[in-house]
Order: sequence, then structure tokens, then C-alpha cells
Amino acid sequence: MQKYRLAATAILLAMLAAFPFLEPEVYYLSFMFSVFMYVILASSWNFIGGYAGYLSFGHAAFFGIGAFATAKAASMLELSPLLTILASIPAGALAALVALIVGYPCLKIRGPYFSVVTICFAFVVELTVKNIEFLGGAEGIYLKFMDIPEKLSRSILYEVMLLLMIVTLGVAWWLGRSRLGAGLKAIRSDEEVAETMGIPTAKIKIQAFILSAFFPGIAGGLFAYYLTYIHADVVFNINISILIVLMAMFGGGGTWLGPIIGAVILTVVNEGLSTFAQAEIARIIYGALFIVVTIFMPNGIIDFFRKKGGG
Amino acid sequence: MDAVLIIQSLISGIMMGMVYALLSVGFSLTWGVMHVIHISHAAFGLLGAYLAYSLLEYFGMDPVVSAAVSVPLLFIVACGVYQLLIKPITKAKEVIVASMILTFGLAIILENVMVLIWKADPRVLTPTYASGALIVGPFYFQYPHLVGFGLSIVGITAIYLFLKKTYTGMAVRAAWQQPEAAQLYGVNLYRISMITFALAVSTAGAGGISLALLNSFEPHSHNLWLIYLFLVVIVGGVGNVIGTAIAGLLIGVITGLAMAFLPYQWVNLVTFGLLMIFLIFRPHGLFKQGV
Repeated sequence: MQKYRLAATAILLAMLAAFPFLEPEVYYLSFMFSVFMYVILASSWNFIGGYAGYLSFGHAAFFGIGAFATAKAASMLELSPLLTILASIPAGALAALVALIVGYPCLKIRGPYFSVVTICFAFVVELTVKNIEFLGGAEGIYLKFMDIPEKLSRSILYEVMLLLMIVTLGVAWWLGRSRLGAGLKAIRSDEEVAETMGIPTAKIKIQAFILSAFFPGIAGGLFAYYLTYIHADVVFNINISILIVLMAMFGGGGTWLGPIIGAVILTVVNEGLSTFAQAEIARIIYGALFIVVTIFMPNGIIDFFRKKGGG
Repeated sequence: MDAVLIIQSLISGIMMGMVYALLSVGFSLTWGVMHVIHISHAAFGLLGAYLAYSLLEYFGMDPVVSAAVSVPLLFIVACGVYQLLIKPITKAKEVIVASMILTFGLAIILENVMVLIWKADPRVLTPTYASGALIVGPFYFQYPHLVGFGLSIVGITAIYLFLKKTYTGMAVRAAWQQPEAAQLYGVNLYRISMITFALAVSTAGAGGISLALLNSFEPHSHNLWLIYLFLVVIVGGVGNVIGTAIAGLLIGVITGLAMAFLPYQWVNLVTFGLLMIFLIFRPHGLFKQGV
């Protein structure tokens, strides 16, 4: 069983990697790019939000930090395209560093209080970037795009984002089976008991938080290069933070597959609706989707099908 | 520094704060009593504001009078919302998470329905006395602000008295403190939850009208309102009515003073920065929790 699953995953990934060679429309490349991006965001969020049950509502902050750090480095040092893409890795490390500094005091706070402090944190980061001219200010940052045909450049970024998604999902797969993951699950079910059992709760929460900030930071860097112009309103948007949480919980938090399913479904539905319906009507249907799924699958899609399948 | 300016901004801060308090008190109750984080709470408040806007525009109805119309109306609507949407998810493993996702969807629906009906342009409530102001010595109070402030005080007092003095109110408090025991004493938890939810939504409507008297509003304003709701409720302690009122005032005064003395774009940074620090040191609010 395990072998077949692995083979199926490998084939699926190979097909995804081969997709740009079929010369598709740029639109489909862009669409897949955002699907990959949201899978990365939701899966990384899941490290702290799903496994440990610490619902961070400020994850767009890490995405935005990565985006602005990459854009700033690229425009200041006039980096070449390859170096700009690589610059998103240290930008992700910066996001992880911020997670370390912020996580240390904030992860002591539990439940909804943690969620609110992360909302505040995201606002503080956004407003700081907006108010300080050097960091981007109210005008944002422009990047120079690659000097090659659009389709080729989009294909390159598509492949890079796909690679990042594979790495993120690999780490998520490992986490689900590791001591770290087991410790986080213990924290989620009862933090006091976990502590009594000798699990270093404070330490592993920080570790999970850092990991969950690192990948969104890199994704933010790639996204900045993809857009070639970034503004604080776009990358720090609180709706991104909320969407990340919803995608992961919608699919099923604390599972490997849940955030993937949630991110894919919500991105596809959102895109499909906005193509075929008037904007407001599309949003209303989108909102109704949340209601219907929550009523019929209150513990996430994964949980619902597991119960149906395995009892 | 200018003493007049300080006092003037203190007073506007207090007015704003009282309005935040009325808008937040119901959010605090649903969270405390039902463990439901009602994301569309502020959207219902905005609906109250839009109803008041239309009633004023087409029938010349004063916002205070229209509050008397929309508050009961929202109560009934909320009873329906509870029965149809909220009650089914009270069996979920994590009610807080399920309720957040569900009511987030509801907020999106409400927001876009409001865009369809009232368009996305910013609106202001302009009753006949909109341009008038009360001038006391060097201080200056616009009438709509005073009316909004007054409406908030009445709303907060009413909900406080309801919880302390009426049988149903006491049942709500009992359900929050000891759900099992309350049930043994014959309290129907579903009925109490429905009443709490409906009451919360109607106070949101009244709070929305008050806020609309102080500020302009548009269909997506509820997102910003929601953030203030969270802040007020957390600082005041979940489920605590008096705490919510004091926290509302505190946050109103902080923003009021920040607005007077800081460049506009730094105001929110200071507010959220202070609140973040506050949360780190006092994560469970300033006051003991409890209805």
C-alpha cells in the first residue's frame, strides 16, 4: 500500500513538473503557481496551528517579511534573476528569525489569546513596513523582471515554487512521523499533561513556529519576484492570514493531507467562481461553502472521509 | 502640551470607547457563554448601521428610533441563524474553530449582500442635527457623537441589568459558570444559547448604529471593527460585561490620545503595539473573567 502511494505521488509530481513543457497558456501557469503557494502556506501553518493547536492568525506577516526582504535585496543590490530567486532563502531565514523572537514570549499565551496576539503582531509588522521609507514605505518596491519571454519566466517560477512545495510537503511528512510531531500533538490534546510527561513543550513549540515561518517566508520572496511590484497592503493583507487558517482547518488541521486538500479546493473554487460569476455573487457562494462544509463536516474534510471509510 | 487639546481628545476617546464597548459586549458573551467566536458579529453591527441609513434616507427616521426597529428585527433574525447554523455545530470536536470558520463564511455573505444592496461607497449617517454641536467653554461636541455615546451607555446598561436582574439573565450567567449544574436546575442550554446569541447580535446592531454616528462606514468596515472587538474583549476578559466596558474606554482613550499627538499613520501602530505588549504580560485580560 505504502509503495503504491509513494509511486502515485511521484507520478503526480512528475506530471506537475512536466506541465510547463506542454506549452500551456500563461494563465494556467499563474493559476498553478498560486495553488502551490497556498499549499505551502497552509501546510507550513499546520506545523504550529494544526499539530500543536496554536492558531496563528498572523502568518501573512512571515509571507510579507520574506517578500519585502527579497524585493529590498534585489532592488538594492541589483541582483540577477537567479540570485533574486536564491535570495528568497535568506529572506525565509529572516522570517524564521522573527518567528523565534516573537514566538518566545507569544507562545506562552494559549488558546484564542494566542490568536489575537498574532493578529496584533501581523499589524505591527505591516504598519512598520508602511511607515518606514527604507523598508518599502507606503509606495512599495518595484523589481526588475527577467529579460526573457513571459512564458519562459513564468515557467521557471512555476518550477521553483513546485520545488519549494515538494520540500515543504516533505518536511510536513517527516514532521507527522517524528518525535517533534508527536510532541506537538501531545501539546494540542493537553499541554499540562505533555509537560508532566517530560516533553520540552516550550522548546518544541518554538521549533514548530520557526519551521512554520520559514517556508512562507521563501514563498513570499518568490511571490514578490513573480509580481515584480509589491506593496504592504498586498502581502500583509489580513485576509491572507485568515485564508491560510481556513484552508488548513477546512481540509483538516493536524494531518498531512488536510491542508493540501483545503488549499487546492479553496483556490480552485475561488478562481472558478471569480471567472464565471459576478464578483459579489461569487463571494456569496464562497461564503456559503464555508457554512455548508462546517455544518456537514465540522472536524474538517479529512476527518469526515476517514470516519466514512474506516469507521 | 495644550491642555484643551488633551481634554478634548480624552473626551472623544471616551465616547469612541463606549461605542466599542457596546459593539463588543455581545461578542464577549457569545464567546464566554457559548464558546462560539462569532466572526460575523461586526457584520451584523454594520447591517444595523445600513438599516439605520436607509430608514433615515427614505423615511426620515432618526437613528435612535431606527435602533428601536432594527434591534428587535436583528433579534429575530439571529434566532433563526442560531437554529439553522450555530446549533448544528455545537457538537463539533472543537466548537471554537468550527464556529470561526462557519461565521467567517457568514460574514463574507453579509458583506457582499450589503455591497449588492447599498453599493461599496462610504456612507455617513446625517440626521437633521448632524451639523450641530454643543459648545462648552473651549470644548466642542458634535451632536451625532453625543447621541451615539448616549445610545451606547443605554445599551450597555440594559444588557448589564438584564444579566443581573432578570431570571433569563441569571440563567445565562449560570450556563456560563456551571453548564452541567445549570442544566440540572432546569436551564435549557439550547434555549439560553439562542437567547444569548440573539441578544448579542441585537446589541451589535445598536453598536453599529452608534459607531455609524461617529464614523463613516462601508461594506468591508466590519473587518476593522472585528479587530477592535477582539482587542476590547481580550483586554476586558472574555464574558465580562463591566470589563468589556472599561476595556472599551481604555482602548478608545489610547486611540484618542494617539490620534491627537501622533502623525495619523502611527496611530494604529502604537495601538496594536501596546496591545501586543499588554497581551504578552496579561494574556487573560485586566479583570477576572465571568459574566
